[in-house]
Amino acid sequence: MKISYNWLKEFINLELSPEETAEKLTLIGLEVENVIPYGSNLEGVVVGEVLDVRDHPNADRLRICDVQVDDEKLQIICGADNVAAGQKVPVATVGTTLPVETDDGKPFTIKIAKLRGVESRGMICAEDELGLGDDHSGIMVLEKELRPGQPLHEAMELYQDTIIDIELTPNRPDATCHLGVARDLSAALNLKLSKPFETEFEQSQQLDEISISIESPEKCHRYVGKLVKGVQIDESPSWLKNRLKAIGIRPVNNIVDITNYVMFELGQPLHAFDSDRINGNEIIVRDFEEPVEFETLDHIQRKCSPGTLFICDGRGPVAIAGVMGGVDSEVSDETQNVLIESAYFDPASIRKTAKEQVLQTDASYRFERGIDPQLQRIAAERTAELIADIAGGTVAKGCTDVHPVETKASTLTLRKSYVNRLLGTDFTLEDIDNLLEGLELDILEKTENALNYRIPTFRPDLEREVDLIEEVGRLYDYNNIPSPEHGKFTSPEPITDWERLLAKTKESAKGLQYREIYSNSLMPKEEAEWLGELDEMIHTLNPISKEMTTLRPSLLYGFLKAAAYNFNRKAQQIRFFEVGNVFSKTEEGTYHRGISEQTNILFGLAGFKTIEHWKTESEHYDAFDLKASINGFFEQLGLADDIHSSVDDENVLHYRLAGKTIGRLHQVSADMLEHYDIKLPAIIAEFSLTEIFKIRQETGSRSYEPVSKFPSFEFDFAVIVDQSIRAGDLLNTIEETAGAALEELQVFDVFEGESLGERKKSLAFRLSFLDKNKTLTINEVEPIINKVVKVLENQYSAKLRS
Amino acid sequence: MLDDIKALKEKIAQVNIADEKDLEAFRLEFLSRNGKIPAMFSRMGEVPNEDKAEVGRAMNEVKNFARETFETHKERLERKEEVILKATDDLSLPPAPCPTGSYHPLTQTLEEMKDIFYRLGFSIADGPEVEDDFHNFTALNFPPNHPARDEQDTFFIRKSDDPDIDDLVLRTHTSPVQIRLMQEKKPPIRTIMPGRVYRNEAVSPKSYFLFHQVEALYIDTDVSVAELKETLISFARLMFGSDVKYRLRPGYFPFTEPSLEMDIWWETNGEGRWLEILGSGMVDPNVLKAVDIDPEEYTGFAWGMGVERIALLRHQIDDIRIFYDNDIRFLKQFH
Repeated sequence: MKISYNWLKEFINLELSPEETAEKLTLIGLEVENVIPYGSNLEGVVVGEVLDVRDHPNADRLRICDVQVDDEKLQIICGADNVAAGQKVPVATVGTTLPVETDDGKPFTIKIAKLRGVESRGMICAEDELGLGDDHSGIMVLEKELRPGQPLHEAMELYQDTIIDIELTPNRPDATCHLGVARDLSAALNLKLSKPFETEFEQSQQLDEISISIESPEKCHRYVGKLVKGVQIDESPSWLKNRLKAIGIRPVNNIVDITNYVMFELGQPLHAFDSDRINGNEIIVRDFEEPVEFETLDHIQRKCSPGTLFICDGRGPVAIAGVMGGVDSEVSDETQNVLIESAYFDPASIRKTAKEQVLQTDASYRFERGIDPQLQRIAAERTAELIADIAGGTVAKGCTDVHPVETKASTLTLRKSYVNRLLGTDFTLEDIDNLLEGLELDILEKTENALNYRIPTFRPDLEREVDLIEEVGRLYDYNNIPSPEHGKFTSPEPITDWERLLAKTKESAKGLQYREIYSNSLMPKEEAEWLGELDEMIHTLNPISKEMTTLRPSLLYGFLKAAAYNFNRKAQQIRFFEVGNVFSKTEEGTYHRGISEQTNILFGLAGFKTIEHWKTESEHYDAFDLKASINGFFEQLGLADDIHSSVDDENVLHYRLAGKTIGRLHQVSADMLEHYDIKLPAIIAEFSLTEIFKIRQETGSRSYEPVSKFPSFEFDFAVIVDQSIRAGDLLNTIEETAGAALEELQVFDVFEGESLGERKKSLAFRLSFLDKNKTLTINEVEPIINKVVKVLENQYSAKLRS
Repeated sequence: MLDDIKALKEKIAQVNIADEKDLEAFRLEFLSRNGKIPAMFSRMGEVPNEDKAEVGRAMNEVKNFARETFETHKERLERKEEVILKATDDLSLPPAPCPTGSYHPLTQTLEEMKDIFYRLGFSIADGPEVEDDFHNFTALNFPPNHPARDEQDTFFIRKSDDPDIDDLVLRTHTSPVQIRLMQEKKPPIRTIMPGRVYRNEAVSPKSYFLFHQVEALYIDTDVSVAELKETLISFARLMFGSDVKYRLRPGYFPFTEPSLEMDIWWETNGEGRWLEILGSGMVDPNVLKAVDIDPEEYTGFAWGMGVERIALLRHQIDDIRIFYDNDIRFLKQFH
């Protein structure tokens, strides 16, 4: 919201500079985003008298002018058609920098120049070149009476101001106007606030000319009508135009400008009707049960849903209440009599309409936040008075004030003890009262320990004691609250097991030489289809972009996207991990019924394991590289002995912990790689940390096992089995059969060839046995091996290779 | 005689032996049968008897010195000849690249923040990203028509007209975890809650539709703004250095009253400006009431800040989207 520094000075005797004012405003809660100078005094630009104009010998479109400036005569080349001897014109003298930029964005500084061989010492300016308007049709011609050499800013009384742009928080409707901002400053700086308008009025009789009624009092609490007759529609005087232009409002005509002026002054949005175009001399505020079509001032035909509040005359709607007027009753050049509307509309109703129409006006912005419900009469009278002053005419007798819902000022008690307890201060009641002075709170009662205040109706945010404490704090300035410089010691609690698992997980993944990525948890539906059934996934109902429709059911999409992104940028080796939440539909739900939210970890490898190098051949990653990392990962988590895995028909490796599936490892399918335009193999493994955590909590952690003092005994043997038999199954069987003495089991050779027979393969195992209490010999191991071989023969028709 | 012996020793010491040829020349000059050492011994006859012991010692010493010199150089020259490096033993060859693991810069920033909070005695908690209206809005004192409840700002997952079925949203902040925490346990509570949050916004260099926050909550008897201020300052100093310049100014959040924001003074290329780093305040009495904590008995402060915002600041990054591109050339700069 733009606030004019000059305008503030009408209410308070402000001695701070605009920058200091901005700083103070920020520190009391009206955060200033920008301080912008408005207007320029155009230093170096003076009034010149054109003495002579003659053609340029070398250019058809240029003229040579002799221009009198002070006691100096300047020769200036000018390209404008309208330049003529005898004119008074603005002359930018040599060395002047104009408030416009050159085509290449540099400051435009006037230099002595030769134009087609003729010297030019200055420039006769057009309106736009001086930043005084948009006109570029020719040079600016000034009033004849002006004295040559006079600085232009003096001659034209140029307007300068500083605009303070405030980002207003939604709790401060009182600060949507200059009076409100000035009031806050007056309270913070202990300055007297003066109001240049009447605030007390006698009860008045109703207007004779127009009847006003409210049919929807819950949406319109109050409607004040005031009439000014015999006005002269014209341009506004320059002071008024300057005020509005400085805060970015385009002047329209004196009536509209005055309504705008009072809105930015007092915060009350106003509307001016041409009262002769109000049919039936009646105003009815109402809504409709059916949709209404209505053309607003901006010439847009709008469809308004049932319940939209309208201002109607005898024939029908003339304005969408609090948002925008209609074309039929707007003030035009012919208008003679003006009806001023000053009303209070319910914030929720206006917000709904403005949102539906996607139309935020200066009026709706204020109504939505909640204006002062006791301001309507004051603003209407103020507007009428200004119209009579500026546009002539007479203020009609009476003022119609329909006021079905009255908002009374509330009262609040502020306890000294609570103030000091919450702020950590040591204020007396006097301190507190002094700080709040200026906010126009009236003290109703003062006891030893508390103050009872009447809260003005322009501060609907002051509802509770704690809201008043905030006023005390912000006006005192939080920076001034003494910092205790030591904190209370609160016995800390242990870091949660979940947090430890997360930290350990990330640490392990990093240690295993994987790089962490952060990918989107929202993805497009078309991509989600690759990951499973859309019906089983969670979707957003209202994404503003198709990129954000579906919550990721796995971390795979993020990995593939990141891999593709890097491969496209010439990366050759991808080793990524990500820890993040994944979502799916479920019966029970993690936190909310029907929604499963789990934390997963993904490890992904893609591209080259080794790149052509003097020591190694180039080689792609394969599933066993990832499988090795996963073994390392579970080792780090202390779960290596508890994890079991098996392969399904699709060659996906499933990992189980305590009988529950916790994750899978697999090649990324060729289709998918092609879809992401990845030309190198990729392997991923994804695990549910949530599941791992749950199981670990249930089973507890392992305790230390003493290291055996005795050496281990190794034994190798090989078997021939059908190709279809999985090594994993053989290993599981060997482990189960061999029992506790088996310390390690490894496959040291895999071989298939014609010599073994058709569809046969050979697997060679190395078994390492260990006993904590003695040195094992062949005598103890042989029976175990025999048993293992027998079981393999029985279950898998394995043949021992001699 | 002794002087001659000494001169001979010095001469031996000065001989320069660079190769086999020099070594052979040395042997011939000093140690061979006709060399200077045997010649020296042959002069023993000239020595008076009473001096013989001393001179003999000196002569032996020179002889040993000459032998040692010869042996040392011989050994050195032989060794030098043996060292012929294989091409692949050349240590100046580059090794095969070793893959490096790394944390994402957001993890790194978050870890730093967590470490600071741990030092300040905070514990840690988490909550869901899919959250219900009660935890995300209602319990946090958002009025029913607050703009944040607009579809324009919030991703809805489930919308229901049935008052018994709460709307579900992607949480717009980590503050709902405060509510969960206060529902679970009674004060004192001193905990941080990091996590991912969502806003239904268009993507730009300044904003992304998801980001990460850290929420801090402290509830106890007699927690005040002064204590909040002390904690904020401690955090700023631990995060940005003890000479950090900061200011507090009023802010507005539905769930705190009074509300404060903290700016720090940030200089780049000699130009300084105030940059907002966090929002905070005293937990609103309505929030405490929503979780059955008596606001007359307990007070507390809460604060929230963006991990991305702090990371952007610390690394002088100007486009938030880069965090989610996962470009290795970017990631490898953070270890």
